[in-house]
Amino acid sequence: MPFGRLPRVPSLQRVIQAWPWWLLLLALVGVRLSKGAMLTDAYALLSRPFWPGTAQREWLQSAQQLDQRSRLAHLEQDNQRLRTLLGLQRANPQEVTATVISREPEGWWKQLVLGAGELQGIRLGDAVVGPGGLVGRVASVTPTTARVALLTDSSSRIGVWVGRTQSMGLLTGVNGSRPELRFLVKDPQVRPGDVVVTSPASTLVPPGMSVGVIQSVDDKAVPAPTAMVQLSAPVEAIDWVQVLVQPRQAAP
Amino acid sequence: MLGKLHRHPLFVASALLVPWLTLAAPALLRLSGAPPSWAVLWLLPWAISDGPVSGALAGLGLGLLLDALTLDGATQIPALVLLGWWWGRLGRKGPPLERSFSLGLLALIGTFLLGLTLILQRLGLPPQLPLAGSLRTLLTQTLLTGLLAPMICSLLLLLWRQQNAPSRG
Repeated sequence: MPFGRLPRVPSLQRVIQAWPWWLLLLALVGVRLSKGAMLTDAYALLSRPFWPGTAQREWLQSAQQLDQRSRLAHLEQDNQRLRTLLGLQRANPQEVTATVISREPEGWWKQLVLGAGELQGIRLGDAVVGPGGLVGRVASVTPTTARVALLTDSSSRIGVWVGRTQSMGLLTGVNGSRPELRFLVKDPQVRPGDVVVTSPASTLVPPGMSVGVIQSVDDKAVPAPTAMVQLSAPVEAIDWVQVLVQPRQAAP
Repeated sequence: MLGKLHRHPLFVASALLVPWLTLAAPALLRLSGAPPSWAVLWLLPWAISDGPVSGALAGLGLGLLLDALTLDGATQIPALVLLGWWWGRLGRKGPPLERSFSLGLLALIGTFLLGLTLILQRLGLPPQLPLAGSLRTLLTQTLLTGLLAPMICSLLLLLWRQQNAPSRG
């Protein structure tokens, strides 16, 4: 289709007369640069009456307490030994419970929006867990909301550990419904059904946290085998999550 | 090049439905987990009714809003600006676009091109991603938007054409 003549350059007077539109454009650029600060905060405020109830929150907390009791002794012992060996500082994250106010697990961006933000102490990079295990990490925050990049998003990369074979790998989001586990060695000897947890040496997310189960292994991948991981936290159904807020270092 | 729609604050404010629906992501209007492109469903009738300049500017505004609501890595602005301009030209030239099939086809092509630009932007990011997940999103979103367009775009077009009718002479 021919595009014809280009529009004429408008006169200065017309440009000045269009000042409300320049103001609107400026406001939109402001919203864009602040990563939707006022917009998502307004959405959070207006959608508050429709947020999920507390039933799943209580269920989530009791399930996590049960899980923690059964695994605490083993993990603490293992964690302490490994972190002492690696010379890493112990981190004691605080938990902030937050409701999921928007989710996009299968769109272009695999993300959640939480109804808690900077005012509740959430910061960039904090780990987010749901019933079953790790969900993702906080990618941006506004005063009352936080955007979480899910483990399936293409921007997500975390170190993980397969306990049975003691092999390390990098869990990478590939924009599908499952992330890909890229091993660092030629023969990791893993098989479908092996449990994947966060790396014991991880400083980005708490070590030893459940991530998922290996679903299939591609031994022929180059340069090292890869595996598809079925995540243990059902992102499509989670209404409440917990953000592990890392303690901030005091200013010197 | 500009119609009258942008002079009505209420119609301009209706663009806020796009980020609102993007955040709310109603489960009933998702296909295999993927939502439709609400930006395309709003921009298509707007550009056809109000012309190429208004369409391109609306595309820019929507792109800024949607980029603010998503994780970093790819932008929707270039695709939405070009689609707004193209659909505005189509609305000004030739017979009026009214048939459901035409609107569905235009929305289908627009959503496909929008998704394609997102894939192309991500191809340049390390590490190279397998395309299977992105292609699945591209196809489901394109199909869903193409199916919804005849209903939603027809209604919006009817409403906005009535406002612009005198200017078409």
